[in-house]
Amino acid sequence: MKRQFDHPAPSERELNGPRYWRSLDELAATPGFRAYLEREFPEEASRLDGVDRRQFFKLMAASFALGGIGLAGCRRPEAYVLPYGKSMEEVKDGLPLYFATAMPLRRAAIPLVAETYQGRPTKLEGNPSYQPHGGASSLIAQASLLDLYDPDRATTHLKDGAALTAAALNDLLAAVGKKYAEGRGAGLAFLAESSSSPTRAALVARLRESLPAAVWAEYEPVIDEPPVEAARIAFGRDVKPVYRLAAARRVVSLDSDFLQTGPAALADARNFARGRRVASPAGADRMNRLYVAESGLTITGAMADHRLRIASSHVPALAAALAGRVLGTDAYAPLAAGLDVKPEWIAECAADLLAHRGGSLVLAGAHQPVAVHALAYLMNAALGNIGRTVDFVAAEPAGAATIQQLAAVIKAGSVKTLFILGGNPAYNAPADLDWMALQKSVPEVIRYGYYVDETSALAGVHIAATHYLESWGDARTADGTIVPVQPMILPLFDGMNELSLLTHVLGDAVTDPYTLVYHTITGLTGGDPEKTFRRFLYDGLLEGTAYPPVGGLSPRADAAAAILAAAPRKPVVGAQSLEVRFAADYKTDDGRFANNGWLQECPDPITRLTWDNAILISPRLAGELNILPPLSGVLPVARDEAADWINGREQAHVGVVKLGGRTVRGPLQIQPGLSNYTIILPLGYGRTRSGRVGTGAGFNASAVRTGGTMHVATGATIEIIPDERYTLANTQEHWSLEGRDLIREANVDEFKANPAFAAALGLEAHSPPYDPESAQRPLEEKATEIPRGNSLYTTPKFDGLHQWGMSIDLNTCIGCQACVIACQAENNIPIVGKDQVVRGREMHWIRIDRYYSDGRIATGAFGGADNRSIPEDPQVSLEPMACQQCELAPCEMVCPVNATVHDNEGLNVMAYNRCVGTRYCANNCPYKVRRFNYFDWNKHATDALYLGPLGHQQEMPELLKMVRNPEVTVRMRGVMEKCTYCVQRIENAKIQQKVKAAQAGNPGDVLVRDGAVRTACQQACPVEAIVFGNLLDPESAVRKAKAQPRDYAVLGYLNVRPRTTYLGKLRNPNPRMPDYAELPLSRRESNLKNHSAAETGRPESADRKPEGNHA
Amino acid sequence: MSHVFPKWSNALPLQIILYLFVLGGTVTAGVTYYCTPKYLRVGYAPVQPVPYDHSLHAGQLGLDCRYCHSNVDQSGFANLPTSQTCMNCHSLVKPQSPLLAVVRASYQSGEPVPWVQVHKAPDYVYFNHAVHVNRGVSCVECHGQINEMPVVYHAKSLSMKFCLTCHRDPASFLRAPADVYNLDSPTLAAQGRAAEAARLIHDWKIKPPESCSGCHR
Repeated sequence: MKRQFDHPAPSERELNGPRYWRSLDELAATPGFRAYLEREFPEEASRLDGVDRRQFFKLMAASFALGGIGLAGCRRPEAYVLPYGKSMEEVKDGLPLYFATAMPLRRAAIPLVAETYQGRPTKLEGNPSYQPHGGASSLIAQASLLDLYDPDRATTHLKDGAALTAAALNDLLAAVGKKYAEGRGAGLAFLAESSSSPTRAALVARLRESLPAAVWAEYEPVIDEPPVEAARIAFGRDVKPVYRLAAARRVVSLDSDFLQTGPAALADARNFARGRRVASPAGADRMNRLYVAESGLTITGAMADHRLRIASSHVPALAAALAGRVLGTDAYAPLAAGLDVKPEWIAECAADLLAHRGGSLVLAGAHQPVAVHALAYLMNAALGNIGRTVDFVAAEPAGAATIQQLAAVIKAGSVKTLFILGGNPAYNAPADLDWMALQKSVPEVIRYGYYVDETSALAGVHIAATHYLESWGDARTADGTIVPVQPMILPLFDGMNELSLLTHVLGDAVTDPYTLVYHTITGLTGGDPEKTFRRFLYDGLLEGTAYPPVGGLSPRADAAAAILAAAPRKPVVGAQSLEVRFAADYKTDDGRFANNGWLQECPDPITRLTWDNAILISPRLAGELNILPPLSGVLPVARDEAADWINGREQAHVGVVKLGGRTVRGPLQIQPGLSNYTIILPLGYGRTRSGRVGTGAGFNASAVRTGGTMHVATGATIEIIPDERYTLANTQEHWSLEGRDLIREANVDEFKANPAFAAALGLEAHSPPYDPESAQRPLEEKATEIPRGNSLYTTPKFDGLHQWGMSIDLNTCIGCQACVIACQAENNIPIVGKDQVVRGREMHWIRIDRYYSDGRIATGAFGGADNRSIPEDPQVSLEPMACQQCELAPCEMVCPVNATVHDNEGLNVMAYNRCVGTRYCANNCPYKVRRFNYFDWNKHATDALYLGPLGHQQEMPELLKMVRNPEVTVRMRGVMEKCTYCVQRIENAKIQQKVKAAQAGNPGDVLVRDGAVRTACQQACPVEAIVFGNLLDPESAVRKAKAQPRDYAVLGYLNVRPRTTYLGKLRNPNPRMPDYAELPLSRRESNLKNHSAAETGRPESADRKPEGNHA
Repeated sequence: MSHVFPKWSNALPLQIILYLFVLGGTVTAGVTYYCTPKYLRVGYAPVQPVPYDHSLHAGQLGLDCRYCHSNVDQSGFANLPTSQTCMNCHSLVKPQSPLLAVVRASYQSGEPVPWVQVHKAPDYVYFNHAVHVNRGVSCVECHGQINEMPVVYHAKSLSMKFCLTCHRDPASFLRAPADVYNLDSPTLAAQGRAAEAARLIHDWKIKPPESCSGCHR
């Protein structure tokens, strides 16, 4: 008997297939659609109806004849130039326009300037008018541009799978509003993302006023702001901290990754770098010192001078112990009891803080419990830091219900209509809520979202959201400054704006978001509204709207009792009861950016993983689980954590984490630097309904995340699935150049004694100089008249008016990867997909090499038989690496077709149309910075690369082509490419200078001013680590940077004379700390390796030697 | 043993080599002639949707190039005029001419007039108009005597060699700044004012790029 499966009937949308480019009218078959059809197809199409077979063959024969002779093929294809019908103000064909806007994210925003070509945004930069950021931008802000052109975004409003017109949607929303107006909102609920928009806040206030019985809940899966209760406990006020890190000379981070996460990360990183930057030995004493206590290895931890590995759930005890010392009280002793940290660590750290009253700062991670924040506040108050390194500003009271409260109401059955505005609760709501079932139990769910995702799949109505670059809005930055969210382009797919959605529900007459924002802004200020608003848009911010500091804060007398009452009990963390730390991913955040190819392919700053997340475990735990790879032979000085690698492909073990009866399964990555029994589960992956990029990448850690323990949980166990391996696209071994003093670092004391330490390291320090006088010769001369005679290479002629060079300060680079994505956006760099990354074919022109070092292990470890361990607590050093623009470039010598040659301004240029793809240049590049187009990355989707011409159906969607920078060639298959120092920006700056000078009547003034041309990486860098400019200008910033004693060239002994040089890294450890090392660990390690034990002596603190893990 | 090959076959290898030479030479000559921009581009004069006559507007009437190509001295791209620019005059001059119907329709609807591109640099070449016209290179150097063309055609080859001829020897091609848009003016060198050209090159620091990065990015 034939069995019948009862499949649900396919929806109309499914039958139509994914039609991204067509209008929603087509899906809805509106009356206008027929007319549209007539217009769209050429007349020939309909005329063919009347052609009979005979005529058809005649026509075909004629066209074949023409084709056969080949006349048609030889004709030049006709191209058109399409000017506007009507002139446009300010638009000059070929010149970009810049507009201020901002990227809203949770309760903050990043002010931006968007570059648009003929109304098409192509690049985002930080808005320099906003002082705290100084024109910097972040990884996510740079990549958010790609989301605008995402072919997988929701393109139509849907109701039960069928398309809904904009008018029908408006009616539907108005009907909902009207229906609940009678019951004053009873039965209506909203679940929204948090937002800093003043306009939305006003609309929500009105909504709650007119529909008081409706539930307004907000849910964010990742908390990035400290809880307000902490300030209530410490000061009795509703305030939150705003840090002024530039003035802080001693910084203690209690599990806080303030350099990368958090609403003010950009400002904090920039200010931190200010306190970190050292120009001369005389100023070295001003350098700040960073203490970090953390469970995972974060970007902030990588910058630490003293890093303490401690379970996140033990941080309250640490905070209590530290507070006891700083405040001189033993009131917190009960909380600090049983802490497994050397008392000297805490005592000396506290002493250092006390020695810098008013110039120190204690920060706590947003995920830490209230008690830790309160203790940090009390310490800052006692140290006199308030008003100096930290200000407290009024925090808006949390007016919204939580998702748990909403769930309770839904369970009670009293929600009839649920709006889900943004977010993705079906994917990332706490697992104990069973959100999917809850959502299904609500009769009417109206979902507003950018993608048709997990949540939309369970919603009756999906409203397509607009991108922030295509609709009006406003937002506040972390310090409260109001910024405009200005659209750059009309909505690509008739999406709806959240503000207008709310007005439709409210039944307002005014639903236009521009008008709403206009009224909000002009209502806040006096004077001529039109002028105010224009100024607001021009500046990209509303001057003077930052939150004012709240004065007169004093600790509550009963704070200690309240803290002890609020503090959680210190749990036992061990091999049988692991701690789990849920951390927002650096790239996909909480999953909202999962479908962004740039972010997916960007290597994680620490783990270097792309396209996946992994369960991160410490080497100790890995040893106990018996999954350590066999270690043998010589380990390189700057080692990488070992996993099982087959031809550079990481074959990760697969494990199952059990937590509270729930399980999650994922690949394991052994990550040195983790607290021994903490495992890190990065959020933001494992999407089941995203787009073609995000779906199926990684695993979803939310599966074991429950309401009470959203960020840190204990009591987990882990099990290895035997004989199962998973390939991770890990880039850490790609392009590696270990072991030749690539990174040169010193401690501040050493730097003061020997400022030119960087020059004393490395092979060139031990070899006779190529030109004995070259050290004395000024840079200006060296850059143009290279000492000849000692190189096999002919010296190119450097007779240009500018000689470009770059200096990268390793001391301030935090490894945030903003430069990587900025470069990708500026230079049309394609993504290649996981499969190709695994093969080592990623295309990023700039990479940030992450090196580990650990000089605390025994001498015998190097190449010795007793080397059986992975360092548990390494020091991290970072080095951005792009084409070094060698003056005597090895790549040029081997190119058979002169495709890569020098220009007269010192750039090593690539002529793509000359390149025949021999790849000799890449073979000969000592820095491994050349990238080869193995496939037509720009033409084919990443899953159709191998199909070649047969894959033409899977060509890149047209929409994605809109993101391209028209000033940069899109490279084809078989062509080599690499960093060009953003030659398009250089050339345009030169041209603009010439044009301006000629029109100002002074055509001889052709020198580009210092700072007029900035490379994409430099412009995005939040810590100003990259300096670029003209080496011939004695006043240029790059000249000054290169004149510093820390300046050195990577692989300088090759005499390739790179134009990019680095400033050696400095560490500022406290000599009184127990983990003090006279030399940075990398140097100790190098010394240990290169010199006998007798020379260097046994390393102290032998107790830090990791235990054998093959026991 | 009989002869396998007849006697005349002794000359065969030589003949084959000779023929190959002739064939190779012909192919090479053909390719060098027929596949160069000089043959493929010069003379290209497509039919435009509107029979705009440069010899009338720029020649007889003496309209400045920049009236229509208004951004040529600021932007890299010499823009084509919007239909609104045409209508500035043609709302009064020949307002009902059937030849201008396309322009009027475009002005009404905002849809562009599909002008056919005549001069096109390859995609990997980033030519910039502004920097040339602001520094003494006249339109005529690349576009020919536009002011005498009823239908615009491709007058010069615009090959890389063509560009480099001037970049290597700017002195022979410079015009006085006032003459850049005067398409009938000869170059300074042709006027016997070579010294003036040399002075311009010195004072203006004219150093046309000969490196790849000048044009290829």
